[in-house]
Amino acid sequence: MIETSKLNGSRLLSSNIACQHCDFMMAEPQLQPGQVALCPRCGHKISRLRVNAVNELLSYSLTGLILLILATLFPFMSFTLNGNMMEITLWQAATEFYIENYKVLAFVVFFFIVLFPGLILMFVFSYVGTLILFGRRFYSPIIVSAIFGLLPWAMAEVFFVGVLVSLIKLTTIAEIGIGLSFWAYLLFCLCYVKVLSLIDKHQFWSWMDLAKKI
Amino acid sequence: MTHYSSGSAASLGLASCHRCGKLSDIALKRCGRCHSTLRLRIPNSIQKTLALLITGLIFFIPANLFPIMHSEQLGVIESATIVGGVIILWEQGSYPIAIVVFVASVIVPIVKFIILFWLCYSVHFNPSVSSRERTVLYRVTEFIGRWSMVDVFVVAILVALIQLGGVLNVRPGLAALTFACAVIFTMFAAMCFDPRLLWDKLANNNVPDSDTRNIKEL
Ligand SMILES: [Zn+2]
Ligand SMILES: [Zn+2]
Repeated sequence: MIETSKLNGSRLLSSNIACQHCDFMMAEPQLQPGQVALCPRCGHKISRLRVNAVNELLSYSLTGLILLILATLFPFMSFTLNGNMMEITLWQAATEFYIENYKVLAFVVFFFIVLFPGLILMFVFSYVGTLILFGRRFYSPIIVSAIFGLLPWAMAEVFFVGVLVSLIKLTTIAEIGIGLSFWAYLLFCLCYVKVLSLIDKHQFWSWMDLAKKI
Repeated sequence: MTHYSSGSAASLGLASCHRCGKLSDIALKRCGRCHSTLRLRIPNSIQKTLALLITGLIFFIPANLFPIMHSEQLGVIESATIVGGVIILWEQGSYPIAIVVFVASVIVPIVKFIILFWLCYSVHFNPSVSSRERTVLYRVTEFIGRWSMVDVFVVAILVALIQLGGVLNVRPGLAALTFACAVIFTMFAAMCFDPRLLWDKLANNNVPDSDTRNIKEL
């Protein structure tokens, strides 16, 4: 078996890839914008190149970042019962756990709903941005690894569903007010989901190869 | 003789980098693009997956037995478990919310445990279900796992928002912590599972035509 790889090594390696889900080897897909490549054996999505992906990645990641920063500055929700009012910011969703001595949960919530989604948007913006501006970047492998390592742990959209569930839960027992940060976080979630749909592992890593050749 | 399926990169001694996907000769030891260690398969994938799954299951049991939050209204403390909370929502007539919480915090974790345990088992004892279908099941577990966190986030908001001195207070319960741990451990378990193992024992007749071009317009 090693013989085969020596014989065909350079040709196989330069133009071939293997499916991450079934290891089936195939020619590296050369996609036009708007096309998607699927593994012929297991159906795994090998790569998808959206129309206008680079421009949209830049604009949605920057907009999302700004909205996330805005979402941390203003009141998020308020709760009024029998004349008593309580208003919280986004931070308090995490810090209250800390005060209640559930310190691990406080960090988990903060990381999952603010820090990780924010870092992903920041890394996407800086990676795609520097690629276009300078053609090459020193820390690209670390940044791209970080983006894909953090992806499963960034749960902005899950948190938003949780917010909606608690809203509906509470409207029956008290008066609920919605703050400016709520709307900022909602818009941030929309940008974040848009960026998620544009991120493609295969494209991100191969852009790095293109940049090195320039 | 190799135990990798024909058509696979591993059968030619080529490793696809787990981090960046670049194909390299396994003899190189390190990926030329991102410098991670090259491996044909995730080492001890099944053992790691099972260990993390069992840890997740150990956390999942107290997550269902202990209260996820305590609410104190005028000195009276009421505690609700995950399932108890769903029942209360149902009785109040909030059916859509009850269904969302029930699916996210009960159905999803149980389905995920069953699928991952079964996939680990199926690697050693070839079942009648095809590799392609089992790979689809793996993708399902990868996708649904994170949605279980909904209930933990609901508790986070209620605990922060409902702090009205002696009138009404909500405090987190032990289940909030153990449930979050169960979700996190099963997510790690899904990451440790190598779906390529589902294909390794395939006979040669399962290889699609080499010139099948599966490129589609969106
Ligand atoms: Zn495949
Ligand atoms: Zn690599």
